Amino acid sequence: MKEIKRRDFLKLAGATLVLAACSRGGGGSTEDQSGDQSPTGQPGAVSFNFRITEALVEMIDGTLVYSWVFEDTASGQPVLPGPVIQAEEGELISLTIENGLRENHSFLVPSAPGSPDVVDFGMIAPGEKVTKSFTAPSAGTYLYFDPLNAPVNRVLGLHGAMVVLPKTGNTPYSVPTPAVQQLFNDLGTTDHFPKHALSPAGWQRDRFRIWLMSQVDPAFNALAQSGVIINPADMRDNFLPRYFTINGKSGAFSSHDHSVVLSGRIGQPMLVRILNAGLFTHSNHLHANHFYVTSVNNVVRENVFNIDSFTISPLDRVDWLVPYIRPPDIAGDPDTPLRELIPNELALVIGGDIGVPQSPLVFPMHCHVEQSQTAAGGNYPQGTVTHFEFLGDIDGVDFPNAGG
Amino acid sequence: MALPVIPRGEMPPDETLAFHKHVCPPDFGGPNPDPLNPDLILSRNLLISIDLLLPENARVPMWIIEDPDDPVNGRVFPSKTIRIPRGALVNALVGCEGGTHTIHWHGIEPTPMNDGVGKHSFEVDGNFVYQFQPREAGTYFYHCHKNTVLHFEMGLYGLLIIDPDVPGAPFTDGGPGFCAAFSPATNHVIPYDVEAFWVADEIDSRWHTLGHDDFMQECDPENPVDPANFTQDGFLNDFRPDIFVVTGIPRRVNNPSPFSAADDPLFGPLVAPALQAGQTLLARILNAGYTIQQFTLGIDAEVIAMDGHALGVPPFQQYSSPFRLPAGTPFRLTTAMRHDLIITPASPGIFPVTIEYFHSVSGRRLFTARTAITVI
Ligand SMILES: [Cu+2]
Ligand SMILES: [Cu+2]
Repeated sequence: MKEIKRRDFLKLAGATLVLAACSRGGGGSTEDQSGDQSPTGQPGAVSFNFRITEALVEMIDGTLVYSWVFEDTASGQPVLPGPVIQAEEGELISLTIENGLRENHSFLVPSAPGSPDVVDFGMIAPGEKVTKSFTAPSAGTYLYFDPLNAPVNRVLGLHGAMVVLPKTGNTPYSVPTPAVQQLFNDLGTTDHFPKHALSPAGWQRDRFRIWLMSQVDPAFNALAQSGVIINPADMRDNFLPRYFTINGKSGAFSSHDHSVVLSGRIGQPMLVRILNAGLFTHSNHLHANHFYVTSVNNVVRENVFNIDSFTISPLDRVDWLVPYIRPPDIAGDPDTPLRELIPNELALVIGGDIGVPQSPLVFPMHCHVEQSQTAAGGNYPQGTVTHFEFLGDIDGVDFPNAGG
Repeated sequence: MALPVIPRGEMPPDETLAFHKHVCPPDFGGPNPDPLNPDLILSRNLLISIDLLLPENARVPMWIIEDPDDPVNGRVFPSKTIRIPRGALVNALVGCEGGTHTIHWHGIEPTPMNDGVGKHSFEVDGNFVYQFQPREAGTYFYHCHKNTVLHFEMGLYGLLIIDPDVPGAPFTDGGPGFCAAFSPATNHVIPYDVEAFWVADEIDSRWHTLGHDDFMQECDPENPVDPANFTQDGFLNDFRPDIFVVTGIPRRVNNPSPFSAADDPLFGPLVAPALQAGQTLLARILNAGYTIQQFTLGIDAEVIAMDGHALGVPPFQQYSSPFRLPAGTPFRLTTAMRHDLIITPASPGIFPVTIEYFHSVSGRRLFTARTAITVI
């Protein structure tokens, strides 16, 4: 009979990104699915059920802000951002959205500029439940959001990420450009991208992070809570973000959340899927490695820049490949293991009794439009920031304390 | 009915001190922990307070990073350019007075203790010797990374240029010199005759009355995220620039007069460069502000490098290539992005350059700076 196979998803408390619970049909690839029946009766189909509802969201300074949010009906837990929809290119996705609020809502997944939307739910009236089926598009990073009364409904919390993985290949894309294909071919197989001694060559498709960025101006959330229909022009002209988030978290919390932090060893490349659901134009800067911009707004890049800072405009979807090379400007012989080159730094604890060890090596990623580093108008750096950590050297020997 | 609460996150007990360090980095100083023999030693002190003189004779208080070895031009805004030949092992002696600071060598990628980010290492108390060895020639910058939202805006930054390791390097600001660019026949190093710096920035005068630690959080190692530790009265999320700057030369928002070589003996010729037809101009462009900056040149250019890495040059930039920017084609940079452009005018003329500043939230145009490339 019917068996719902639920993917692992993280608990509400402390989790940043929740993977949407889904029931998957018989077309999947894992062996324990034999005998499964797709709820839609079709092999290769996957279904998700979301409800649009309201919640209080705690900001980093403890302030509770009324928000419109998605809830996965399988868990009954509201989350911000919405649950991650993950599928494989070509899979049939059946998505049900229920409007649990008092005004009309919608659900849109745009594609590349000039291409038809992946799915558009049109108007969902209060209390209404709408199901749509669509085919998972070309592999890549997609933003979903409520496009009504734009940008109001999206900025008040109705947004989330959709990740589509390719059927085949060693890149994150269905049809990589020659430059992107070459880049991924070179990972772990060339002198400039040596592989970690204990890891396979190439990018591993589960080595990715989602950074869904947004901002909160509590004044507008308070209006929504009081039942006022917000004028979108008012929001566009007067939005003054007071909290800046990655996957709904800020500052020290986003810097220690394992679903946000880039973690790995030298020679273990990682992909970052960056999205901006808000109204602030970010300029994300990574320390310690220049990254490769491999896709912008679902267009795989022909000219793949190797840079350290990049614009993330409202509604953007941008993929970075972080090569995870040894930070190239460390003084001294690049072939000497770091435990021999910087033994004292690796052994240091600065700050006495309340110090934190310098090993493993940890760097920041932060938005360089530094207003985004604040919370409540100050409290630097409690905004859009996270960690980029190197746990071990290329030769398979981990740095001290890397075990956690 | 009570609404459900989505919590701000968790602080596992064993990460309490790391959360504390996030907002309250420790102080540290002295020699580098893993010193190597330097090829090049440089010094910088911070902070120094100076006044930026506006054309109206008004003054804006700035903070800058000083080169103590240069009694003539060591105290300028932007802070004095650092130039280093590629591959040199650098010891940078940084002194701090009147509070702690750091220097982050933006785009240079050393170890955490040499990266100048307090929460990943320390803030400099007294002095510290930063050590790094830049491996790629290009345009970088250096800036203080303490309470960065304020300290960067106050002027604690300067250009950091890694010149190719060819005879004559490091070069003098303004040219002539050599830079890294895709050119297999010449080992990816090309000459230029004249150099321009378009380092665009803005000033919110209200911010320039603040103190080093204004609106920072209280430190409590036992409960670093106690809501009571957070200040609530800051306005560092609210950037309303009223003065616009190109490489240190300021204009009030209501002053449309063009930026010219006569504006400043040091920076004027870098902002409004002049060259002869047939010569090569290298323009180094940095967004050192908090707006979206749109650059438009009235002359054809070629984008040869981004963020210190020359497009097309193997191994790391072999997946990219330089590209042509026809006259009149605008491009936008957000904070910290750098583009290097090569311009080779064939005939004389005065070619306009505009920099438009757009607000990072509303997208409204706030100011248009006008300068020009003069070809004789
Ligand atoms: Cu920086
Ligand atoms: Cu930084």
